[in-house]
Amino acid sequence: MKVYRSHVLICGGGGCLSSGAQEVKEAFVLEIAKKGLDEEVKVVETGCVGACDLGPIAIVHPGGIFYRKLTPEDVPLIVEEHLLKGRVVEKLVYRPLSGEGKVTSFQEIDFFRFQQKNVLRNCGVIDPTSIEEYIGTDGYQALAKVLTSMSPEEVIEEVKKSGLRGRGGGGFPTGVKWEFARKAKSNQKYIICNADEGDPGAFMDRSLLEGDPHSVIEGMAIGAYAIGADQGYIYVRAEYPLAVERLEIAIKQAREYGLLGKNIFDSEFSFDVELRVGAGAFVCGEETALIASIEGKRGEPRPRPPFPAQSGLWGKPTIINNVETLANIPLIILKGASWFSSLGTERSKGTKIFALAGDIRNTGLVEVPMGIPLGKIIYDIGGGIPKGRKFKAVQCGGPSGGCIPKEYLNVPVDYESLQELGAIMGSGGMIVMDENTCMVDIARFFLEFIQEESCGKCPPCRIGTKRMLEILTRITEGKGEEGDIERLIKLGENIKKTALCGLGQTAPNPVLSTIRHFREEYEQHIKYKYCPASVCQALFRSPCQNACPARVDVPGYIYLVSQGKYEEAVALIRERNPLVAVSGRVCDHPCETKCRRQDLDEPLAIRDIKRFAADYLLNNGGYPLPSLQEKKGKRVGIVGSGPAGLTCAYHLAKMGYDVTVFEALPVVGGMLAVGIPEYRLPKEILNKEIEEIKKIGVEIKTGIKVGEDVSFDDLFKEGYEAVFIATGAHKDLKLEIEGEYLENVMGAVNFLREVNLGRMQKMRGRVAVVGGGNAAIDAARTALRLGASEVNIIYRRRKEDMPAHLEEIRQAEKEGIKIHSLTNPVKLIGNGKVSKMECLRMKLSDFDSSGRRRPIPIENSEFHLDVDYVIKAIGQKPDLSFATDHLKTEISRRGTLVVNKDNLSIGKNGIFAGGDLVAGPSTVIEAIRDGIKAAISIDKYLGGKGIIEERIRKEEKIDQTKPAQENPEVQPRIKKIGNKKDINLKDFCETEPGYTEDEVRQEARRCLRCDLQVD
Amino acid sequence: MSQVNVTIDGIKVSIDEGATILDAAKKAGIKIPTLCHLPEIQSIGACRMCLVEVEGSPKLQTACMCPVSEGMVVKTNTPAVLEARKFVLELILSNHPADCFTCIRNGNCELQELANELGLREIHYPGERIKAQVDSSNPCLIRDAEKCILCRRCVSMCHEVQGVGVIFPQKRGFETTIAPPFSLELRDVPCTFCGQCATICPVGAIYEKEYIDEVWQALNDPEKFVVVQTAPAIRAAIGEEFGLEVGTRCTGKLAAALRRMGFDKVFDTQFGADLTIVEEANELVYRIKKGGTLPMMTSCCPAWIKFVEHFYPDLLDHLSTCKSPQQMFGPIAKTYYAKKIGIPAEKMFVVSVMPCTAKKFEAERPEMRSSGFRDVDAVLTTRELARMIKQAGIDFVNLPDEEFDEPLGISTGAATIFGNTGGVMEAALRSAYEIVTGKQLTEVEFRQVRGWKGIREADIEMDGAKVKVAVAHGLSNASFLLDRIREGSCDYHFIEVMACPGGCIGGGGQPVATNSNIYEIRKKRIAALYEEDKAMSVRKSHENPAIKELYREFLGEPLGEKSHHLLHTHYTKRGATYQREKIWV
Repeated sequence: MKVYRSHVLICGGGGCLSSGAQEVKEAFVLEIAKKGLDEEVKVVETGCVGACDLGPIAIVHPGGIFYRKLTPEDVPLIVEEHLLKGRVVEKLVYRPLSGEGKVTSFQEIDFFRFQQKNVLRNCGVIDPTSIEEYIGTDGYQALAKVLTSMSPEEVIEEVKKSGLRGRGGGGFPTGVKWEFARKAKSNQKYIICNADEGDPGAFMDRSLLEGDPHSVIEGMAIGAYAIGADQGYIYVRAEYPLAVERLEIAIKQAREYGLLGKNIFDSEFSFDVELRVGAGAFVCGEETALIASIEGKRGEPRPRPPFPAQSGLWGKPTIINNVETLANIPLIILKGASWFSSLGTERSKGTKIFALAGDIRNTGLVEVPMGIPLGKIIYDIGGGIPKGRKFKAVQCGGPSGGCIPKEYLNVPVDYESLQELGAIMGSGGMIVMDENTCMVDIARFFLEFIQEESCGKCPPCRIGTKRMLEILTRITEGKGEEGDIERLIKLGENIKKTALCGLGQTAPNPVLSTIRHFREEYEQHIKYKYCPASVCQALFRSPCQNACPARVDVPGYIYLVSQGKYEEAVALIRERNPLVAVSGRVCDHPCETKCRRQDLDEPLAIRDIKRFAADYLLNNGGYPLPSLQEKKGKRVGIVGSGPAGLTCAYHLAKMGYDVTVFEALPVVGGMLAVGIPEYRLPKEILNKEIEEIKKIGVEIKTGIKVGEDVSFDDLFKEGYEAVFIATGAHKDLKLEIEGEYLENVMGAVNFLREVNLGRMQKMRGRVAVVGGGNAAIDAARTALRLGASEVNIIYRRRKEDMPAHLEEIRQAEKEGIKIHSLTNPVKLIGNGKVSKMECLRMKLSDFDSSGRRRPIPIENSEFHLDVDYVIKAIGQKPDLSFATDHLKTEISRRGTLVVNKDNLSIGKNGIFAGGDLVAGPSTVIEAIRDGIKAAISIDKYLGGKGIIEERIRKEEKIDQTKPAQENPEVQPRIKKIGNKKDINLKDFCETEPGYTEDEVRQEARRCLRCDLQVD
Repeated sequence: MSQVNVTIDGIKVSIDEGATILDAAKKAGIKIPTLCHLPEIQSIGACRMCLVEVEGSPKLQTACMCPVSEGMVVKTNTPAVLEARKFVLELILSNHPADCFTCIRNGNCELQELANELGLREIHYPGERIKAQVDSSNPCLIRDAEKCILCRRCVSMCHEVQGVGVIFPQKRGFETTIAPPFSLELRDVPCTFCGQCATICPVGAIYEKEYIDEVWQALNDPEKFVVVQTAPAIRAAIGEEFGLEVGTRCTGKLAAALRRMGFDKVFDTQFGADLTIVEEANELVYRIKKGGTLPMMTSCCPAWIKFVEHFYPDLLDHLSTCKSPQQMFGPIAKTYYAKKIGIPAEKMFVVSVMPCTAKKFEAERPEMRSSGFRDVDAVLTTRELARMIKQAGIDFVNLPDEEFDEPLGISTGAATIFGNTGGVMEAALRSAYEIVTGKQLTEVEFRQVRGWKGIREADIEMDGAKVKVAVAHGLSNASFLLDRIREGSCDYHFIEVMACPGGCIGGGGQPVATNSNIYEIRKKRIAALYEEDKAMSVRKSHENPAIKELYREFLGEPLGEKSHHLLHTHYTKRGATYQREKIWV
């Protein structure tokens, strides 16, 4: 045999081939020959390696160097550098996110490291068209073993002992199935390999057939011997031409080697295999339908019993096993049942192949031991969710499966556990979905698939799933009715009970599981005609507007800005949100996260566009006056002058109410004034904007604490007919550790308030901020500006888990703030004043209900940090001291006020509440939303219609013709260059510049105008 | 066969191994509702109506398919079972036009009956209904896919029993319909129009094309002399339409009813049958003696004829050239009889009442105009006639027995048994024997050719010569014989084929029984015809005095010149292709 010094393995899986692996392979062969290396280096086309999104792939041995996304043009360099000179071409090597850029053998890469490739042992390693290579890796040894030394009963016993269960979805014990067929009396028996893989996104069977076809044939032969069959069929779908081709080659080779045919290994046993190419009906994966199809009939199932093991193909006892099941058999025979059963869980043994797809970094095929936590597959192997989005759910088991939400990432992946959650193992499809997935739409999608693939034989599947689809479609179109969820559940449960075959019996799973885990999302669609994921087109004008809690007409004002119509733009924004300049600076802009432009290049800088328009007007004489309704002569009191209170006041004043805002602090603006640091939101801007609100008649009284200085009853006695309470969440949470009450230990909100009110102007020494939210970053950056010599942020989870905005974290780090992630304070030490913080290093363990890994302390990892100040920024809660006896309200466990979600009423006539007081610490724009909601509710309560007038779009000031944009040019965000200036960390000057007029109009023109429908 | 013991709703039953839960329940006297199940023909578990609980099984089981096992405990009426059935039925009804009032199956619909039995009061899941064009492209059968509940009984009937297979499930999911492929209509495919599909459709999705209006119009036309002929099988079945027990002979009431409806003369197709036998027996003897194409095959079943024309066009020479009794009656009425009573043939309107849908097609064949006019003007099925009798307000059950009119109403017992499988053969043998041997036949009953077996054969001794005969009913069985003829491995002299299982008594135009074993019903109708035969004074066709007179006065001799012109026909090679053109003309 010839010995080569190096092997280049080219992945010949379907994914890589479609991305050009064949051309790459040819380039290698050509180039190697050109360099005269063909006696030293061998190029092998293997089966699927699994990392399908990285193709075309070449693995160079020795070393296992993993080249990814190759083009033929890359090949000469690799041949020249790596194969000739022994130097790895680093720029073409795959680098994992976490690997710190070190080039290692591919086995060290996370994607491969956590896998255990048993069934896939040969895929990506051997040439699937060479039986010699299969035999070279112990191929057909298991068949030899059973034919020479085992009785059929012993084979069955071994398979039973292994605990192997069907990998096609049902999970029936393989050995038991074989035993049935063994015991069935008949002169003729059959074994069928079910390779009619039809689940969208699942391709493990295809990969096995393409990458290691002989393992399946060997497994079939062993099964045939065990049950007493002499004929086998492989039913493979026509959509898998490569699998068909390689199977044909493999069958031919096996016959030539006498491994199929008469008297195999000189035994009594004869066996042959025929291919049957299916026409690609999903239902033909169901075994009785598959049998019908082989028999030449329409692929339709029939009820079981009788089971195929008793009466199958042409009425004869027949065993149908899935590809992956069969590929396990040779291993079990060779390595033993006890080896196999040592893998996996109590009831689910061995390994399982999963097809990772969807919103996940590493898509492809992975093989892992049964029982591995779901989260480990998604995060460790799959690399988590890309684009900084949040994980929402994973659909397990294809259209027959169900969606598992983030709360269950610890679930061990085995048959029973998945079933308990309303999903199934299925064939192993895993479609990962991020926050931009609408669960109602996903359920509709899967049901549509099933409805189209239903064979139409039994009414529950034929008509029942249609009825479910009709209801779901209605819901996604905004025509959902009360009772639809119950109807869906009833239909689903009854279909499961009455449908003829597995397809129908599992068809409702995607719907039932999404209702079970995401019922609120269904309710939002039905009750509020709101699709939180911005997917259901009929329910919103544009994704950005839909994502905005205040529902500001984003595309409208962007258009107006692009036309230089700043007055109209601001007027349009203020139809919903009166705090334009404020939210133009500090809004967390959920609109931008949904901007469709990001699929092309980058989302629009929506916040900055808004900011420009606001600043432009504030610097040029102020905002245009909104249209005011006639005075109603009714008084409304608003407690708290934060964003919720100001917004509510503004809208009520517009509607003609006499509004008075009571503010306990000496300054107006709530958290805007005392929570957010000056460098992010200059007081001057805030005050100008407040003046704009006052302009329409809102009266603001500072220094009055309602509940203490004046009672709620007094307000009503004074003639106020309704009150909106929005006092925010201004109390810092405690660390609950030793030393918390030492001097110089303070809460972040408290600290920021003292600074904002000018009561604290200097800070010397080392500051430690505990927490990972925006308040922590604000406190840290503020401390730096007060003169702290060193600022550390202590956070117990990983940096990527920090809830603070990414841009803020980056800014903080740029300014020199050090973030100690996976660190938790356990004790504060000091003599009067704090001087040391004792911390523990943390590590990640299992997943918590938020879908993040839970941090747990590493034992004996204590260390000390020298500190002069400790700022606690681990959360806030409302100060409920105003809620005295005569204002009896319900308080949640989180210490917030409980209100009727729909109208913000606290259950007492005329009193409403909203903002952080109700929601706990949240965003400015959410507070603004509550302000709008409260204004509507109060108007309705006082006899109005609760309509916030929308004028600008109606007046057709916004062009309604969709700009031609079939292929919009790639144009990333316009940079803010014109107004850029150096930042001084010693003062509180605004850090973030705004756009110039030229820049902003260019940026605004990037808008794709999703608000306009293309016919 | 070994027995297994099962308990159903607390009742213990012992039943053959391999039986289904449904069989066992029937034995225990428990009714499990079914829609798609058809005893002896179809068990596919599609409709889900027969779901039952089986102890130890987490899922509901399909009673029509699930085999019983020793010690099995079944419950057929638990709340879970009833809810499941109601749910499925509700779904079916949500996709069904609720136009019962105007439906041809109003009052005789299994779906209607089931909805009533299960106590359905509301459809909780309304939604889109399947849209489909009504196929009324042919003169025999109408298919209305909107009413179809996809029970597929028609599919099994067409494929398994008849071996024709022109309709099957098309498309998938909600769009599934039962139809010929490629959006073709029945006229475009090799449908034999046997109408077996219509006899087992539980709803009004496949039914006969009605000619009731045309017949009423003729009856009300003073210019028209309307005569009616009624086939042998009608008398053994029409009573069912009026609530009489299956197998009740209604010959006299039938004649009375027709007369009351206003037919000018009430005749009997049996006259035509006797005439057919005389011609056919002579043809057989001729072929045997003169070396004609053998085996000779009967030609009185129009569906059978069309089947051979489509699928075995190479074997057309084996068919007897004799027209069917219906089509022998027509030209005789319009020539011989018209002349005899002095009525111009163009004023005569011949109506036939047939147990058959294919007869409507047969009457329209261009060959069937040997009188110079259309020989038979309108063909009614048993069901249509019953409807007309009801429309006329005739109290059928209490009618007195009356006789058919002379001379075309005179017939023999041999003609009566034409209505069932084996009957034509037996009638032919009764005459052929005497023609060949010249001897009087003492035992007229040829029991070898009677019965229900799909293919029956017999060797008949005639003057030392052995005549080998075979009888087949159901076109699948016929195919089996045809294939053997093709192979050259068939040494029969004479073969009788009836397309419909049981023969004409099981024809596509016969009363439709809901929720029954249709074969059991057909067997009872057959028994009625044999009884009728027994009660007849003349039991051999060639001894029919009216037939004798016909030959004496008009035809001359069997197979003679006039016979050739009026009573014999030829066939068309049609082939089995599917194409959009009128293939029956």
